[in-house]
Amino acid sequence: MSGTTLPVVLRAPVAAGRLETARHFLRRNPRMIIGGGLVLAWLLIALFARVIAPYDPVQVSVADRLIAPNPSHWLGTDDLGRDVLSRVIVGSQISLRVGIISVLIGLLVGVTLGLGAGYLGGTVDLLAMRLVDALLAFPALVLAIAITASLGPKIENAMIAIGIVAIPAYARLTRGQVLAVRAREFIVAARTIGASPLRIVVRHIFPNVVNALIVQATLSTAFAILAEAALSFLGLGPQPPDPSWGQDISYSTRYLANLKWWMSVGPGIAIFTAVFAFNFLGDALRDALDPRLRRSA
Amino acid sequence: MTAYILRRLVLMIPVAFLVTIGVFVLVRISPADPVILFAGEERDPVVLASIRQQLGLDQPLPLQYVAWLGHVAQGDLGRSFQTHQRVLEAITERLPATLELGFAAILISVTLALVIGIISAVKRNSVVDLVSTSITLAGVSFPNFFLGIVLILLFAYVVPGHIFPPGGYIPATQDLGDNLRRLVLPAITLASASLAVNLRQVRSSLLDVFGHEYMRTARGKGLRERTVITRHALKNALIPVVTLVGIQVGAIIEGAFITETIFFWPGIGRLAVTAIPSQDYPVVQGVVLVSAFSFMLTTLLVDLLYAWLDPRISYETASA
Repeated sequence: MSGTTLPVVLRAPVAAGRLETARHFLRRNPRMIIGGGLVLAWLLIALFARVIAPYDPVQVSVADRLIAPNPSHWLGTDDLGRDVLSRVIVGSQISLRVGIISVLIGLLVGVTLGLGAGYLGGTVDLLAMRLVDALLAFPALVLAIAITASLGPKIENAMIAIGIVAIPAYARLTRGQVLAVRAREFIVAARTIGASPLRIVVRHIFPNVVNALIVQATLSTAFAILAEAALSFLGLGPQPPDPSWGQDISYSTRYLANLKWWMSVGPGIAIFTAVFAFNFLGDALRDALDPRLRRSA
Repeated sequence: MTAYILRRLVLMIPVAFLVTIGVFVLVRISPADPVILFAGEERDPVVLASIRQQLGLDQPLPLQYVAWLGHVAQGDLGRSFQTHQRVLEAITERLPATLELGFAAILISVTLALVIGIISAVKRNSVVDLVSTSITLAGVSFPNFFLGIVLILLFAYVVPGHIFPPGGYIPATQDLGDNLRRLVLPAITLASASLAVNLRQVRSSLLDVFGHEYMRTARGKGLRERTVITRHALKNALIPVVTLVGIQVGAIIEGAFITETIFFWPGIGRLAVTAIPSQDYPVVQGVVLVSAFSFMLTTLLVDLLYAWLDPRISYETASA
């Protein structure tokens, strides 16, 4: 009888308990609400960009060229009469897409390398770590510039370049965590009962790395957005007329002497707030998920 | 220590090889044919075949790599497709401008980080601390090319008297005053790239030192607070700050690409950026190689300096 009633009795309190735990967690970490809210706001803007944007971001209107911010054009217009606010809103799609996809590339390759190197050790570890060292030997942005310059100035190539640059952080982080848990009792136990190496890595080791990876992924999304903006600024990202924050700032420089400041301010603030949101959330997550920091706080 | 240095140098060799392979491959994966780029307007197949042979591009890739590496080892980074100038010569011509900008940026960044970081740690939770933590948080998120543009707008166009020029470079030997005036805005822009990280490092390492027992002992024996901080806290807290220089070099090289472009500063970063649209790969390849090796060497030097300064570091552990 108890076998049938017990789960029913326990289910409701567990769900309520989880909700309460989540509420308590957020109350203890108000920075996560701010950071998460900002990230969510940018994700929603990017998702519904075409609906929210008041004008077509590539529509040229010579009659409306270089208009200062006003009630019809909140962030003014550029030299081709395109609405700056609409370009900022639609530009968020490119920045966030590059940010998220490049982080996924780095995450996938880096975690695989780190898990392999940490668990298998020996030659695999040696080779993987020398490869990581070689990637770290380049200043990150210089490597991203070099890769994009070689592959050609395209958004997909920018994603690949930023993704490659992100690999070392994930590989080192994962390897470190794997080495820390590899000799623990539960891994030895799993090995003793005959679990395959793949099962041990996926089912027993990987869950122990997830928290650290979530933090790293959030922080590296911030870097990826900044790097995409820098590549676009140098003409190595999406090509005109597609709106892109970095490229729009670069384009605006030719009107600085004419004091047409609004052309660069909109995309500049957009980059800052988007990068800030991911950095802020990443820091808050690190504080919340890292037990060492939690104890010292 | 000697064993540690040797071990680090030995470990660096395979990494250096991988770096050269990476830089070599970067150019070879490009969809553009270097022979066409080198030939300019020339399209005669016989001439193109001759150029291909002279450049060694008709050889298998591993042989091309070995030949290229041999040239690199002798300081020959090839010739620019555009100007046909030797790449090493182009880099060395522009190096003084990059170094000048880099040193100025490091000076600004480290000085500000030390001053604000120390006050911030000593007077924790004060207004200065609040400003410091805000700079840290905002600084890592602020795109430095946007800061550069804001600075140009303000100081070159908006502020009466146009205090600083919007860009350009005059060698110090020609006119020191003008050189310094043109240096201010790019140096601040470049310094901003690493200021936030440096500030956080100084503040947190000082706060870490404050918790140690020898600090309590120093206070307990009646030393003045200033002496406790300068003699005991700073001496220990500044050891990790040495690594700042290592971090700086990476940030400075990265930032140089952007900052030099904004301010028309004729350094190696701008050399590479202007070579990209014309697919002048030997130049891009040369600059990337020089950047990577400078970064690697500085990181090594900083690690060695760090190990020498802090006797607690176990060389065996550090190298493991």
